[in-house]
Parts: sequence; structure tokens; C-alpha cells
Amino acid sequence: MANLTRRGAMGLIGGATAAMALPAYAANRSIRHFWWGNPERDKRTFAVIDVFQKNHPDIAVSGETMGWGDYWTKMATQTAGRNMADLIQMDYRFLSEYVLRGALKPLDPHIGKSLDLSNFDEGPLSGGIVDGQLYAVNIGSNSQGLATNARVFEEAGVDADILTWDWAAFADACDKITSSTNGAVKGSEDLSLSEALMEAWLRQNGYHFYSDEGEVQANPADIAAFWTYWGELRDAGIVLGPDNTVRIDKQMGEFGVITGEAAVSEAWSNQFVAVQSLMPDPVGAAMYPHKADGAFGQFIKPSQFISMTRDCEDEEAAAMYINDFINGDEATSILGLERGIPGNPNVRAALEPNFSEAEALSVAYFSAIQDKVGPLPKPEPKGAGEVRDAFKRIGTDVVLGNMSADEAAGIFVEDAAAIIERAK
Amino acid sequence: MKRFLARNAPGYTFLAPWLLGFFLLALGPILASLYLSFTRYDMVAAPRWVGMDNYDYMFGRDRRFWKALEVTFTYVFLSVPARLAVALGVAMVLDKGLRTIGIYRAIFYLPSLLGASIAIAILWRELFSLDGVVNQALALIGIQGPAWISDPNTSLYTMVALAMWQFGSPMLIFLAGLRSIPRDLYEAAEIDGTPAFRVFTRITLPLLAPVIFFNLVLQTIEAFKTFSAAFIISNGSGAPADSLLFYTVYLFNEAFKFFRMGYASALAWVLLVIIAVFTAIAFMTSKYWVHYDNERD
Repeated sequence: MANLTRRGAMGLIGGATAAMALPAYAANRSIRHFWWGNPERDKRTFAVIDVFQKNHPDIAVSGETMGWGDYWTKMATQTAGRNMADLIQMDYRFLSEYVLRGALKPLDPHIGKSLDLSNFDEGPLSGGIVDGQLYAVNIGSNSQGLATNARVFEEAGVDADILTWDWAAFADACDKITSSTNGAVKGSEDLSLSEALMEAWLRQNGYHFYSDEGEVQANPADIAAFWTYWGELRDAGIVLGPDNTVRIDKQMGEFGVITGEAAVSEAWSNQFVAVQSLMPDPVGAAMYPHKADGAFGQFIKPSQFISMTRDCEDEEAAAMYINDFINGDEATSILGLERGIPGNPNVRAALEPNFSEAEALSVAYFSAIQDKVGPLPKPEPKGAGEVRDAFKRIGTDVVLGNMSADEAAGIFVEDAAAIIERAK
Repeated sequence: MKRFLARNAPGYTFLAPWLLGFFLLALGPILASLYLSFTRYDMVAAPRWVGMDNYDYMFGRDRRFWKALEVTFTYVFLSVPARLAVALGVAMVLDKGLRTIGIYRAIFYLPSLLGASIAIAILWRELFSLDGVVNQALALIGIQGPAWISDPNTSLYTMVALAMWQFGSPMLIFLAGLRSIPRDLYEAAEIDGTPAFRVFTRITLPLLAPVIFFNLVLQTIEAFKTFSAAFIISNGSGAPADSLLFYTVYLFNEAFKFFRMGYASALAWVLLVIIAVFTAIAFMTSKYWVHYDNERD
């Protein structure tokens, strides 16, 4: 120990601490579950871990949770450091990217053994298949949507059917709401920076943002039209202004429909429950406006998956945990609809009697839109996340009036193609 | 060799802890990043050699790289002089011999201690938000302020304001420098009835030049490396509309958001070169305006 350095000493101390911590589990089996969440989701998920722990005392389960943004940053470092959690929450948009990078293990070897999928709906299941193998199990489905303030809609005399309305009816509703409240409540937030809405706009025009080969095939003219539509609502003063639109990192509490500044905000269908819990007026569930005589823009999407990672050692224990998460009576009743609509019909039936009003609305919305949605698009190519950033960045300049919609749309499509090319 | 060892062994033995740390923890990764800058590396697959591709892309096609340079240079050119001016001003006030100078030094230094913290960045974001304290104060005198942070036209200036507020460490160094200026020079000036401004330009500034130079170099390097506050205020992305796309924020995004470690390494090396060039320029021009006491001319 004569020439022990300071760093060496710290290493030793660290090593000793780690060595002390290890033996507790070393002889047993252990799995780590990592998910992005919110306080409500975390509470429910930790409760599920406790249940699993109770039923399987020989398997030590630990949970880690973070917000959406930090989650993917931490995931990236863990992937690089080869210490990913055994089980991770996965999003549809990143699934193929992680599979292609070799970070996930296929679940097929466990199906029919520790993982029972015999009761699972085929639609939700198919979203987790990449190159013919199942890499991710759906733990809830959702769809795009708009959360409305039902009281304001009624008082303003908006009589359009908010499940079938088109873009003209939407603008008309915004106008009615703004004028009937003398501008105290704007018709809607300015949703021109929502890439999900923009992509739906393109599907209404008959094509996806990405081709089947994963190339950008968006027509700049259509994106310009999308931005122009919102620009007109902005100029008419019937949607919220730029200060609200370009706010960085908008949290749910800042949604216009919750603060009362606007009567419409964008929300995923599984978020209606959370939105309702934050606003005094009854929430309404609307679809994105349709294009008159156009194709359907929305689709049913796996809201979240659970995936097994490359670094998982005890695969059987992990598969058992997944199974419990989607099929176990106690676990599924704890999870409820928080992550979306469960893919197992038995689970749905068991949950139904105990729905709150907002949960019932969320489920009713989900079943009502089933015949008004298009097929699930192919997973996005590598680089799609960066394209989304570019959309928001360039769209911000349009919202602030620094660039015309036409010019910006041209630049965006060009940038998007370059980003995808570079990510290959 | 034997004699060299005999003479220097104890020295190197005592240096060993630092040397080990330097070679293993600093130099190793630095050289590795130089290698990585010529590769494509996504942190999962092994790095693949691509030659000059990263640098070609950076200078030839990467619009955001140039935008990041523009933002960073604007920030450096505004914030460094502003911070130094504030630091010197406060130091001169304190130098007037307040009795409780210790307390004031501590108070004025406080923002610099807090400056690197996440909490201050978040506080800044709230202060300058649309309904933040700044706009509420402006509303009292009838001015409707913009959303300082989320408006690309003003967001960078909030960062400059933050930099100005954190003048503590150059201020302390200025204070020490001011204290070392011989008092008899000021007395002589006073007897001659020299106006205060001339005292400042003819006595204070020239004799303070070495300290100004030191602060300038240090603060410029510091400003080029600005990261945490920009990262937090722009929510990690350089938003709004890339107006807070500091070089380091862009580098971080390339590395840890888009997994382009090779490209990020190349960016890091370019930043090193830029800082080196600026430091070299400062040193080369210094002989025309910095005079040291012990120089004879």
C-alpha cells in the first residue's frame, strides 16, 4: 500500500463498497426494469414490482425511472457501457433503431414457455415485430387525439361532431369559441409544431412521411399547406400566439386546455385521464380534424413496449416478469389504463367495472375511432428523432414570422432527407 | 541515465500520482478522441475508419455547425468584455477601501459560486419567462416584455446577462491587481490635479494590463466552453430555433442524442483548435499592450 494514489484509494473504497453490496443478490437471480414515467406511473410500476417480488422471492427486481427526455440519454450511455437494464420500456419510434444496433434480444424463444401470448390481440402484438421476430411486447395501445374543454365547446354552441369534423369545421369551432368568450379562451393551441399532426396531415393526403424503404417522401407543398393553415388561424387570432407555441419543454400542466387559455390541446388517448385530473371542466376527446374526402390520418399505435436487452443474463426471469406485467391479475389491475389500452381482452374485461369517468371516456374514444383510422405505418428509419427536432426548429421560425411557410417547408424536407441519408 | 535517475527519482516518485492520473485518465481519452474523430462510431458497433469524412461534412455541409459557431462567437464577443467590464467596475468600487470589504467580496462572489449550478439555470429560465419576474417588473412601468427565453431574438442576450452577473472570479483577481498598484502614483496624480478619467486611463489600466490579460484569456476559454446553463435553458436542444445552439450543446447532442461519437470527437478537436488560436492571438498581441513591472525598456 506504500504508493497508493488518491485515485487508487478512491477506487479501492468504491470497490469495497460495491463488494459489500454484491453478496446480497449474488447467489440469487436478479432483474432490473427501467422505464420512463411520471409520478403516477412510477407508483403503479413499483407496486407491480412488489407484487412480483412477493410471488417470486428468489428473484430480486429493482426498478429505475426517469422522465422521457433523460430516459433516452441515459439509455444511450448504458447501451454504450454495456450495462443496460434487463428490461426496458421501448417506444415504437425507437424500436427498429435499437434492434438494428443489436441492443435487444428477440423474445420468440420464450413464447409459450414463460411468456404466454395466447390471449393477446394480434394487432397490438404485431407492432413489436421486427424482421419477423418479436422484440417488444405491447404494454398499452393508444392513438393520437385532441383534448377539448367540453364546457367551453357547449357554451360556444359548437355542434360539430368532434370525432368526424374536418379542418374547416375545426377552424369554425375555434372562431366560435374565441368570439363567444371575447377572446378570453382561444379556440385552440397553435399545433403547427406537432410532428404527429403534420404526419397525419400527409396521410390524409394519401401517403406517409417516410416511404416503405425509409426515405423521406414528404411533398414540401403539403407541409407548406399545413403551416399556412395554422398561420391563417394565428392571423385570425383564434389560436394561442407564438409565446405559448414556442415555449420550450412544455409540460402537461402548461397545456392550454388545462390552463384555460385555449379549448383544445393535443393529447395521446392514454393521456385524457391525466389531463382530466388537472382541469376542473369536463374533458372532451376529439380526433384530429379530417380532410374532407381524404384518407384517415390517425392510427392505433402501441403506446409503449417492454423489451429484453442484450445485457440481460437471466432471460427466463425477465420473461416471467414480462408475462406477469401483461397477464397477471394483480399486476394488470394495478397498472390499469395508465400506459394505454391493454392488449389482453381478459385484462380489459376485468378492468371495466372500476373505470372512472375519464377512463371510460378514454376507452369509449378508443373504440369509437377503430373504424376511422389507417393502418400502423412501418417503424421509422434511423434518424427520425433528429428529423422531428428539425421540424420543430424550422417550424418555430414560421410561427415567429421569420420565414415563409413555403421557404421553410422546402428547407425542412431537404434537411430531413439529408439527416436520414447521414443516419444510414 | 543512472545519474539522471539517481538525481531525479525522488521527484518523479512524488510526481507519480499526478502523472499516472494524467496518462491514464486524461491523455489516454484525449488521444482516443483524436482517433475517433476519423471514424464513425455509434457506441455499439466498433469504430469504422472514415478518414476525413467527419471534417469534410463539418466544414462543407453541416449548416448547424456554422450556426453553432455563430451563436458561440456572438456569445464570446459579447459576454467576455461585458463580464470583464462589470468585474473591473465592481473591483474598483470595492478597492475604494470599504471597511466591511470581506463581506462585500463574499456577496459579490456568490453568483459565481452558484453559477455552475443547475438551479441557477432553471431560476434564469423562470426569471425571463413570459410571466416571469423580469416582465412583471417591466409591467409596473408599463412595458410589455417579450418571452425572453423562448424568443430566438432575445434568448442569447439572457445568457449574456447571466454571464455578466457571474463576474465574481475575475473581480477578485482585478481586486488583487488593483491593490498591488503603488499608492504613491495616485497621490502624485492627485497633487497634480489629474482628472479621475485620466488617472484611470494613464495609471490604473496600464498597470493592471497583466491582470486584464490574464482574465481575458481565462474568460475567453471559459466562454467558449459554456455548457450547463445553455443546456438547461434550451432544454438540451439549442431551442428556440437554434438560437441557443452553443458549440458544446451541439457537440453533446451529436454524441449523446444521435450517437455520433466520431463526429462529436471531431467537433471537440475543432473547438480545441479554435480556443488555441484565440489564446495564441491574445498572447501575440499582448506585447503591444501588456507591460510587466520587471520589464526594462
